[in-house]
Amino acid sequence: MNKIEIKNLTVDYTEKKKSFTALKNVSFSIEEGEFVSIIGSSGCGKSTLLSILEGINTATEGEILINGEPVTGTGPDRGVVFQHYSLFPWMTARRNVAFGIKQVNKTASRAERYQLADKFLDKVGLEQFKNKYPSQLSGGMQQRVAIARALAMDTDILLMDEPFGAIDAKNRTILQELLLELWENATPRKTVVFVTHDIDEAILLSDKIVMMTANPGRVYREIKVPFERPRNRSKLVQTGEYTKFRNELLSLFYSDIVSRIGGEEVVL
Amino acid sequence: MNIQTKAIAAPAIYSEEIKEPSKIKTEFFRRYFRVVHMLFAVLLLIQLLPDQLATETYASYSIWFAAGVEALTLIASALIKKPAALNLFVDIVAFIYGLLIAWTLATAKFNILKAALFPPPGKVFWQFTGDFDKILTNIQSSVGIILQGYLMAIAVAIPLGLFLGWSARLGSAAAYISKFLGAIPPIVYIPYGIALLPTFRSVSVFVIFLATFWPVLGGTMSGVMNVDKKTIDSAKVLNVGKFTMLFSVILPASLQNIFIGCNQGLTVSFVLLTSAEMIGAQSGLGYYIKNYSDFGDYTRTIVGLIVVGIVIVAISFLFNRIQKFLLRWKQ
Repeated sequence: MNKIEIKNLTVDYTEKKKSFTALKNVSFSIEEGEFVSIIGSSGCGKSTLLSILEGINTATEGEILINGEPVTGTGPDRGVVFQHYSLFPWMTARRNVAFGIKQVNKTASRAERYQLADKFLDKVGLEQFKNKYPSQLSGGMQQRVAIARALAMDTDILLMDEPFGAIDAKNRTILQELLLELWENATPRKTVVFVTHDIDEAILLSDKIVMMTANPGRVYREIKVPFERPRNRSKLVQTGEYTKFRNELLSLFYSDIVSRIGGEEVVL
Repeated sequence: MNIQTKAIAAPAIYSEEIKEPSKIKTEFFRRYFRVVHMLFAVLLLIQLLPDQLATETYASYSIWFAAGVEALTLIASALIKKPAALNLFVDIVAFIYGLLIAWTLATAKFNILKAALFPPPGKVFWQFTGDFDKILTNIQSSVGIILQGYLMAIAVAIPLGLFLGWSARLGSAAAYISKFLGAIPPIVYIPYGIALLPTFRSVSVFVIFLATFWPVLGGTMSGVMNVDKKTIDSAKVLNVGKFTMLFSVILPASLQNIFIGCNQGLTVSFVLLTSAEMIGAQSGLGYYIKNYSDFGDYTRTIVGLIVVGIVIVAISFLFNRIQKFLLRWKQ
């Protein structure tokens, strides 16, 4: 059964009497427990699409169905991790997580919330940093807290908008593997929509990759990722299949870009 | 080869052993050998000069006060860890000693200033100890009025500011209205307040309420309107309710601006109250100063001035501590 159905989504923005189309007739669906990455160059509308899924933005036309119900706003069925600023700077790591838990579980006592928060902070390796404020944590640690909060809230769906985009290469690798492990080992697995511009990240994590194209934002291709789970990065990247698949994706990506704008600088 | 390395190693250890005590010694000098203590000695020595006025009886109060300050300085020298903080403390003490020396010389010792208007420092300290209970009652009266008006204003202005700032439509109208009403200096409400309200105390509370209300309301509203959209989005995707949004997200996010309003309110409140007390009160620090200067008792007038200064500094210190604590999450 389809967990999320995106139907003919169109988003027009009007700014100073100029209007432009961020998304045009975007349709695809996501199954329950599926990990879907949305990739595309800047301006392809991938973050706009996610913000509509989050419920903080609305579409001009079309709709998104979750469990067959149209999305009308934010909801307790979706947890979100942004690239920046997910955490409240005046709360410690533990309070940030406990605050998220409180919003979905009103009956849990304070002690229960803190206990659950600690459990998830342990899972992301932040035992030592529970009582630190976000300003005292590195960018990577802050994203670990945000992930711990999203997981602790135990929502059916996780929406992640370039969560590792601002993190240095080494820590990004570690966080990708942490997310992969946490997601693969959970039962039932959560439905994840993951926006990224990193092809390797998308291949490592996803069941399906939705490639988008800009001006206006549309779905260019939907590609199933054929690799077995559980995945192991170091083993995976050594296989010929991986190299072949990655090259195919890259050539798709570039053929689209080159065919439309012919060699201009492209930000991936 | 072996012998040579040993020979090199030995002096290294030796020199380190020598270094340690000298380090401690300079540290001791840095802490306790300061110009400030010389000033203290000068202050004591000038007491030996012959008095031009018949005020020898008060000199001991000056000496006791200076001795108290000196004891405090020695304790601070032993306890304060950061050199910069210790320097600051010591410099302030040096200023106090300098002032006392100049004051003593200009009054009791050389009688340069008019004796009726400028009592020697010892007399002021003597008066302070004599009036201690009276001063305490007046502090209580003034601070009580300020706290009542101030806290009431904050309790109303912050929730109202949160609500108005958060409501896009009401907020912009309220911003203009509060700008207009806040622009009226609260002191001009006093005559009308006296007509409306039964006691001087209630008028004072009312005026301090107004003086605090507008800046806190304005600060809160501008704080709310300037909360980062990303912070609001983060809260929205967590599905927070309206109450949680206002008090657990918007309130802490706009705390810095709220404090700016609170600080402004506090400053204006003191100016207002002391002025008002000089006009019509039967108690309070402003009354104490005005009353005794009317009777030509300038010793008590100076005591009152010093006490007002101390009270305001103490309250702002407390205020800053609270602000620092509540904003401890900021770097």
